[in-house]
Amino acid sequence: MKASEFSGLIPECCSEVLDAMYFTTVLDSQLKESMPAEPAEADFLSFHLRFVGHISGRFGLHLSQGTARSLAANFLGEEETDISSADAGEVAGELTNMLCGSVMSRVEGEDRFVLSHPEPGNLVVRAGLDDALISRLDTDNGVLTVWVVVDGEPCRL
Amino acid sequence: MAFNILIVDDSPAMRRVVRRVVDIAGVDVGNYLEAGNGVEALVVLHNEWVDLIMTDINMPEMDGEELLLEVRNDPALATIPVLVVSTDRSEGRVRQMISLGADGYVSKPFLPATLSQEMYRLLGGTPNESF
Repeated sequence: MKASEFSGLIPECCSEVLDAMYFTTVLDSQLKESMPAEPAEADFLSFHLRFVGHISGRFGLHLSQGTARSLAANFLGEEETDISSADAGEVAGELTNMLCGSVMSRVEGEDRFVLSHPEPGNLVVRAGLDDALISRLDTDNGVLTVWVVVDGEPCRL
Repeated sequence: MAFNILIVDDSPAMRRVVRRVVDIAGVDVGNYLEAGNGVEALVVLHNEWVDLIMTDINMPEMDGEELLLEVRNDPALATIPVLVVSTDRSEGRVRQMISLGADGYVSKPFLPATLSQEMYRLLGGTPNESF
């Protein structure tokens, strides 16, 4: 399976997860060639994890602190002013986990898969260089960039 | 009757959300007990009375599958209902966890009503009408 085959799944799965647990709507989605160049890295959060199953690779999420804070408020049912940076980070990590789990459940169907713990940190991903897909999602709480890189060799559990 | 509920998840944020859903559902909770993985959960289980275990699968040190096996193979713990709450929605995984002894399976993302209904099914009672 090529990363490009995730193109329809990512907006669909992200919509489902964001709608059900973050009370957020995906308004638009676009494929991108590279990760956004951000003016100040400190203002952004990035998480990534590894998935291993019939298909293996890496999955990541990149979003602004403001978007993360807003999503965390929705997720935790608290006021945005009460959300700490640690809360925003924890919720962004969990969102990465849920988005990847949702996508992989669709891809794997009957088969089992394992996700590693989400790790903070931005990885350089370029759609033209890796077997990667980068998707920009505009939501009513801000912009999310979701990416997936598929490994060359499929791996069975 | 107040129930002691053990929430096992490596995400502190998810543990907070589960607690919030349980609160809104109107479940009479005596104590919330929390663990970040299966090893921590077993320590709690051997020291506290627990009426329901809600566990994730993918966790460091000891995952939810191993925790379930430990619980089902321990005569002192074997009768505690186990509700799996996981991002893994693959049919193979759901069937496997049920066959290993899980009493229910809720996949993330979940609607609060779904989690609440499963809890009431396992503990007895009726969900709060606001759901």
